Amino acid sequence: MSGYFEGVLVLLAINVVFAYGAYLPLAAGQLNLGIAGFAAVGAYGSAYLSDTFAIHPILAIPIGAMFAGLIALLVAVPVLRTRGIYLALATFAVGQIVRAAILNLEFLGGAAGYPVSAFVGLPVVLGFALAVIVVVMVLFATRFGIALRAVQDDERVADLMGVEVRGFQMAAFILGAAVAGIGGGLYAHHFSYIEAQYFNIGLSISIVLYVLLGGTQTAWGPLIGATVFTLLPELLRGSASLRYVVFAAGVIVLMALRPQGLLTRATIQRLFDWRNPPIPGVPMASGRGQ
Amino acid sequence: MTDTSILRLDCIHKNFGGVNVIDDLSFEVQRGSRTALIGPNGAGKTTVFNLISGVFFPDSGSIFVGENDITGIKSGTRIRHGIARTFQNVRLMPHLSTLENVILGQHSRNRGWLGALQPVNLLPGNRWCEEARAGLADAGLGDYERASVGSLPYGVQRRIELVRALMAQPKLLLLDEPAAGLNAAETDELQIHLFKLCQSGDLTLLVVEHDMHFVGALCEAAVVLSFGRKIAEGTPDAVRDNPDVQEVYLGKSASPVSAASEKKEGDRASQRA
Amino acid sequence: MIGQQIVNGVTLGSVYAMVAVALTLSIGVLNFLNFSIPGLFMIGGMTLWALLDAGIPWPFAVVGALVMAVAASLMVERFTWRWLRGAPHFVPLVSSMAFLLLFEHIAIAYWGSDMRVVPEAFSGGDWRIAGLVIGIPQLMGLLCSIALVAGLSWLLASTRTGRALRTIAEDPDTALLLGVDINRVVSVVFIVAGLFTALAGILFAINYRQVHPFMGEAVGLKGISAMIIGGMGNIWGSIVGGLIIGTTEVFAISYFGADFVDLAVFGLLLAILILRPTGLFRGMQPVRFGI
Repeated sequence: MSGYFEGVLVLLAINVVFAYGAYLPLAAGQLNLGIAGFAAVGAYGSAYLSDTFAIHPILAIPIGAMFAGLIALLVAVPVLRTRGIYLALATFAVGQIVRAAILNLEFLGGAAGYPVSAFVGLPVVLGFALAVIVVVMVLFATRFGIALRAVQDDERVADLMGVEVRGFQMAAFILGAAVAGIGGGLYAHHFSYIEAQYFNIGLSISIVLYVLLGGTQTAWGPLIGATVFTLLPELLRGSASLRYVVFAAGVIVLMALRPQGLLTRATIQRLFDWRNPPIPGVPMASGRGQ
Repeated sequence: MTDTSILRLDCIHKNFGGVNVIDDLSFEVQRGSRTALIGPNGAGKTTVFNLISGVFFPDSGSIFVGENDITGIKSGTRIRHGIARTFQNVRLMPHLSTLENVILGQHSRNRGWLGALQPVNLLPGNRWCEEARAGLADAGLGDYERASVGSLPYGVQRRIELVRALMAQPKLLLLDEPAAGLNAAETDELQIHLFKLCQSGDLTLLVVEHDMHFVGALCEAAVVLSFGRKIAEGTPDAVRDNPDVQEVYLGKSASPVSAASEKKEGDRASQRA
Repeated sequence: MIGQQIVNGVTLGSVYAMVAVALTLSIGVLNFLNFSIPGLFMIGGMTLWALLDAGIPWPFAVVGALVMAVAASLMVERFTWRWLRGAPHFVPLVSSMAFLLLFEHIAIAYWGSDMRVVPEAFSGGDWRIAGLVIGIPQLMGLLCSIALVAGLSWLLASTRTGRALRTIAEDPDTALLLGVDINRVVSVVFIVAGLFTALAGILFAINYRQVHPFMGEAVGLKGISAMIIGGMGNIWGSIVGGLIIGTTEVFAISYFGADFVDLAVFGLLLAILILRPTGLFRGMQPVRFGI
């Protein structure tokens, strides 16, 4: 496989992992604008482990992800008491704090960045990405997925059905942070260099935007969003900045015309219906989505 | 508190923004009964349901379910005490399929991590899925399994909501205007269906309704509210003949036959003709 | 020495305050957290530099920068607000975030991502009073900020548009019933927000002489913090919040070093969001519009 395709696939895999990290809390109706901060924890955590203690990246990356999850746990209890705008801003503040803290830790390189000596190639990256995809898909096929989506749809009624709303929101938040940590760890060990400046609000915004682009109604949405975002520059031979311009413009237009994202339950419904024709007289989901 | 009472409200007060929405309300619902909660619009009936299910807490007074004082218990936990409900404006989850909505109703019987990880959508043959399917089939809704609920007719949504509520295997089922928006035939079907559900004696119904014919056919007891106070209680017939109740509905010397039930009477009459 | 710090703090603080006012106006009147505002800040600063670089004299460059930012702001209005009134509540926020990305990367595509130096505005003197050094730019900046805030206060208190704004902030439905032309009034919000933010960017450029495409992020985010601290929807609160953050930052840098500043500011923000989201000022509801 040529180096070029390899590069694209690695980026795609890492973006998919980031996407699922943002998707988990979004599926419970929560916007985590600090997602890049948790990715940074995973990146720096795993890099430090593999460099200092010679732990193999395949082990260091999940451990780094656990650090990210731990920090999310610490933060979740107070932060998840807030709602809506306040929650988004609180998570954004958390992301900034994490970044600022990393910048202050000299043993992590500070502003100069941190070179990472251990390396993972395409197979490992793909392996982790596939694992994340499978785990999230399976998770959403359980009662956990139904509960999360119920909370997203109608928190009040979900609560009356006995769904432990706060518990599920926390679980989604923490799991999402850990998944973002995996993405960070993969990034660190493939690109061999990380700096705190990379994990900024722009990264959080980009991730959130491509997840929303894909659609948050189904667990396939993040995959679609990450794919569109990653493949866009390949279609535009121009500079990296142009890709962001087109992406941002695309999101703006999409939000105006189809805010539920590219992939909705209705779309999936119609794909299935193509195989099982609907029963006459029974209205199936409309294409407008809800 | 009698042994046969499943629900008891004791001197409940609720004030919203200076208005006494519920004023010194006390009543009991007998186990296994089908009791109606009636009253003109604004009497506070849905508020009573919200108090029972824990959406709000009363300012004073207590609520008992069976032997347990649930007054201070949070809303998410009340379903575990056997209280399930439907809503005045159907509140199904618009982005879940019919089957998933019904599976959601089982949630209270499946707590903890193991419960949350049941692969209900992964392995279609599992028992929770089958139970949900059976529930839908019993209600004649099997065809709608995979449909996205938001696009279904209102009457169908109402019936799905009932199936969902029953999945929790409740002891006390609160039904908020279950017959609203249904035509005469559907209302009769619903009434028969609900009657059958209660025959084993395990389920108690507390029904808010405006359709007096429906209430008279289904319910054996009624509590009448007006402006947050109880003004009468007894069998539907007794309550209908109560002058205070008549006055509250339509001024003096009139019986509280709502426009809806008059129309249904008319429908029935024309069907017979 | 402390006096000098205060002067510097007020300079920085007024930059944050202007951004915070723009944010708080959007939230108070429209219930809209406008994430594109840091982008407008950057547009103000970088357009100023670009025009100066092209040889355009200062007054025109300033006006040009303001016009550019207001135009961008109105573009944001058209695509996040006007089309989307009935849409799910997160849509304007998300679109405004996309606009931030858009503005930043257009700037990079056009001007490159390097930091650019802004030429000196007023060569020749500083004011020296009682041992304090107050640069002319700082003074001008302060005066402009004061003028703008005074103008806004007058607008809100004494004009029909101002009354309309306050009505919408209280209750949009009543505003409609009262015949308020919502579209026109909403445009005013975006124009004012653009002006305030652009002025902040221009002040920043003049005082600190550096601009780059990501300059909006650092400042904009502190502007958000200032808004929260002062209470969302409260204009004077935003101003005070901005001054607090600015002076805190200046003092923190001189006593603790630049590294801890971000930690301190965002730590404060987090604490306030969790403990007292309505902000430091009593009596203000989270999304109520008040002066």
